Amino acid sequence: MKNRIWITVFSVAALLCLGVWLFISNVSSPSRVVGIYKDGSLVEKIDLNSVTGEREITLSGEYGDNVILVSNGHIKMKSADCPDKLCVEHGELKSSSSPIVCLPNKVVIKFEDNTDGADAKTGEIKCIPGN
Amino acid sequence: MKLLRKSCILIMTAAVILTSGCSLESKYDCEFFAMDTVMTINAYGSKSESAVKAAQNEISRLDRLLSVQSENSEIFKLNQSKEMTVSEDTLTLITRSKEIYTLTDGAFDITCEPLTREWGFYSGLENKVPSQQAIENALKGVGAAHIKIKDSTITLDENTSLDLGGIAKGYASQKAAEILKENGVNSALMSLGGNVRAVGSKPDGENWSVAITDPDDNSKSIGTLKISDKAVVTSGGYQRYFEENGQIYHHIIDTKTGYPADSGLKSVTIVSSDDTLADALSTSLFVMGLEKSGEFYSENSSLFGAVFITDKGEIYVTDNLKDSFMSEQGFEVIAV
Repeated sequence: MKNRIWITVFSVAALLCLGVWLFISNVSSPSRVVGIYKDGSLVEKIDLNSVTGEREITLSGEYGDNVILVSNGHIKMKSADCPDKLCVEHGELKSSSSPIVCLPNKVVIKFEDNTDGADAKTGEIKCIPGN
Repeated sequence: MKLLRKSCILIMTAAVILTSGCSLESKYDCEFFAMDTVMTINAYGSKSESAVKAAQNEISRLDRLLSVQSENSEIFKLNQSKEMTVSEDTLTLITRSKEIYTLTDGAFDITCEPLTREWGFYSGLENKVPSQQAIENALKGVGAAHIKIKDSTITLDENTSLDLGGIAKGYASQKAAEILKENGVNSALMSLGGNVRAVGSKPDGENWSVAITDPDDNSKSIGTLKISDKAVVTSGGYQRYFEENGQIYHHIIDTKTGYPADSGLKSVTIVSSDDTLADALSTSLFVMGLEKSGEFYSENSSLFGAVFITDKGEIYVTDNLKDSFMSEQGFEVIAV
């Protein structure tokens, strides 16, 4: 009988812990994890909040190099050898629905989680007409 | 002992139920480059991975078939030879393009290729304002009457070349959505270079929210549409342009004049269940301008809804979208 009580107490406690853990993991502060992708494959994931100092990441593609600058809370394309430089003009990565894209070198920098409420954005990507 | 075993089973079962209830349904995300743009597919459900891969393969296949610049595509070969028996997809799209040309009174025109070339809006070309003579020469082959279709053979007039860039991504997203559904996916969101397509609604049954890019600051949005199982496509002069002698020239050419459309609009967003039509109409209504688009909407309101942003920054929304569009800015409603 004693055993039975202890088992019940233990199971209730275990379930409560599990529930609290799941709640915290779902409602924690907005994520600032950024993914850097080259031709659809993940190159690196970075938590912008845990970056100390400045760091440059260089990726090479068909149209030369893309230099990405990362600092605490910030990421942007510092320079690019591609012809249009739209990725550099984009400036800092600000929202999950507006990733930084270098079409010629097939580089994408984006937030891993939805940070601005929209699931997608229409009209932004500047493609080359005539596909 | 028996009791202990029973209790353990009970705890484990409860834990499994609890975790599966709280965690998200399985999801597969894919990002790839096709049709000279970046595409993403996010799909939910146990069969999402194989379904997304099948959809991606279909888009890549259509890209190889319909590209105006790839030397191996059917469109490139047709533009060179001027007469060719084409595949079912190419035939379907050219036929549909001719129909939409008629529906829009020529505002949508796939014979724009010589004009787009003169303005240098293909990769590898320099943007330039063409001479009046060059525009007049290019206009000689422009117009859907220069395309003849007999069975599955397409014949183009001597000065005519096709560019399916204004419709191909819409067709591709329609085909990809069909493939996702056939493969058991009931909830997915795709973006084909800014052409958005929702398959069903979100896994929790809510509508998807699709932001519309602010034409004046592309990092911001001007409003949000709540949609499910529809395509959302935007055309805007801000998407590609060049400047010469202080004047801005964008890439949406009015084939009646040969110059970039100057209709008083900054962007047009179309919402429709028909992706191919949505893609073609976003360009057409941008060329038509607000007033003519309003008349067009009155006659075709069952086919689509639209959000217009004028040069002055005003927002106009067709009445069939007034309850699904939200913006911090006020907007006018266009009635049927």
